Amino acid sequence: MAPIAVGEVIPDGTLAYFDDQDQLQSVSVHSLAAGKKVILFAVPGAFTPTCSMKHVPGFIEKAEELKSKGIDEILCISVNDPFVMKAWAKTYPENKHVKFVADGTATYTRALGLELDLSDKGFGIRSRRFALLIEDLKVKVANVESGGEFTVSSAEDILKAL
Amino acid sequence: MASSALLTRTGMMKLMVNGFQGLRAYASVAVGSDLISASPDVSLQKARSWDEGVSSKFATTTLKDIFKDKKVVIFGLPGAFTGVCSAQHVPSYKNNIDKFKAKGIDSVICVAVNDPYVMNGWAEKLQAKEAIEFYGDFDGSFHKKLDLSIDLSAALLGPRSHRWSAYVVDGNIKVLNVEKAPSEFEVSGGDVILDSIRRLGCPLLLLITIEEHLRVFMALADVYIVRSFSFYGMMHLHSSS
Repeated sequence: MAPIAVGEVIPDGTLAYFDDQDQLQSVSVHSLAAGKKVILFAVPGAFTPTCSMKHVPGFIEKAEELKSKGIDEILCISVNDPFVMKAWAKTYPENKHVKFVADGTATYTRALGLELDLSDKGFGIRSRRFALLIEDLKVKVANVESGGEFTVSSAEDILKAL
Repeated sequence: MASSALLTRTGMMKLMVNGFQGLRAYASVAVGSDLISASPDVSLQKARSWDEGVSSKFATTTLKDIFKDKKVVIFGLPGAFTGVCSAQHVPSYKNNIDKFKAKGIDSVICVAVNDPYVMNGWAEKLQAKEAIEFYGDFDGSFHKKLDLSIDLSAALLGPRSHRWSAYVVDGNIKVLNVEKAPSEFEVSGGDVILDSIRRLGCPLLLLITIEEHLRVFMALADVYIVRSFSFYGMMHLHSSS
């Protein structure tokens, strides 16, 4: 699938997460994002440094600011199972607004055309690092890293676009 | 169990090839199999941080390096950070580590179909890295070769492994325990395999423990006594008529 581009409608899909009562929930992307301003940012893998120490904290810190600018949801997605996402989310006790969701089978990531084969690093099929600004299911901003860098997909970059 | 397995073709094949201990519905290896030759091109990834991965150039560890000339206790589970795995399975090995070392076990290994970074994060959370070596079978190839994979998509985990444990000496499987269902925790814990290792060491206890010997004896004695009485009773009746 070709990578999703600005102006396109995001595909629907199912993502999983543990809610505040520790119950496993499956949610459809469209039902979560319809009529809303949503930031969807992806990391290749939970518990890896750039993801853990730079990408995610950036969004956690800027969450209030993003919310004040009209963002309804900030979702962090990764090709990991929901148990791993839950445990990883717990390593950020200061987090209030970022929701950690699991695309365990990489189905949604593939639907977005943003998958990446990281088998040689011990990962299998994962997601590229990216950040999307989605308004009522339409992509307004698509910042996708080309390789292992961290240059365009940060919270600051999305803030600049708002 | 034996009769239902005989009804299936694979069950019959396994019975012929591996004998009674081959009647395991979902593992192609059994006691007596050689792990190293069963999966020659398979390797695992030691749990590590990303930086360690980079500096080691994402090196993998072959089964030969893990098992050759060593006494290894290895256990596999469906997923890092999940309930039974975290709360019961790993602790049952961590808490018995001294007993394993006293039996001359070289390594206690935990493996799951997760990437090595998640395994590392989990091992650190469980504070089990000193006692247990954690390895990731990220693409499931190790478990596929052993026929121990299971699709857990219903639990949103995707292709994973059964819950199992094994005692392997120089690559040869001496003990293999596989749970009937991955959510169960009856036979794959540290206590059970420690007991199996102890029994291997004492031929008399190989099949059943002394306690079980006594129980069998008492049951037989009961039968003997009842039969003797009823025989005596019958004889008495017969002779008095």
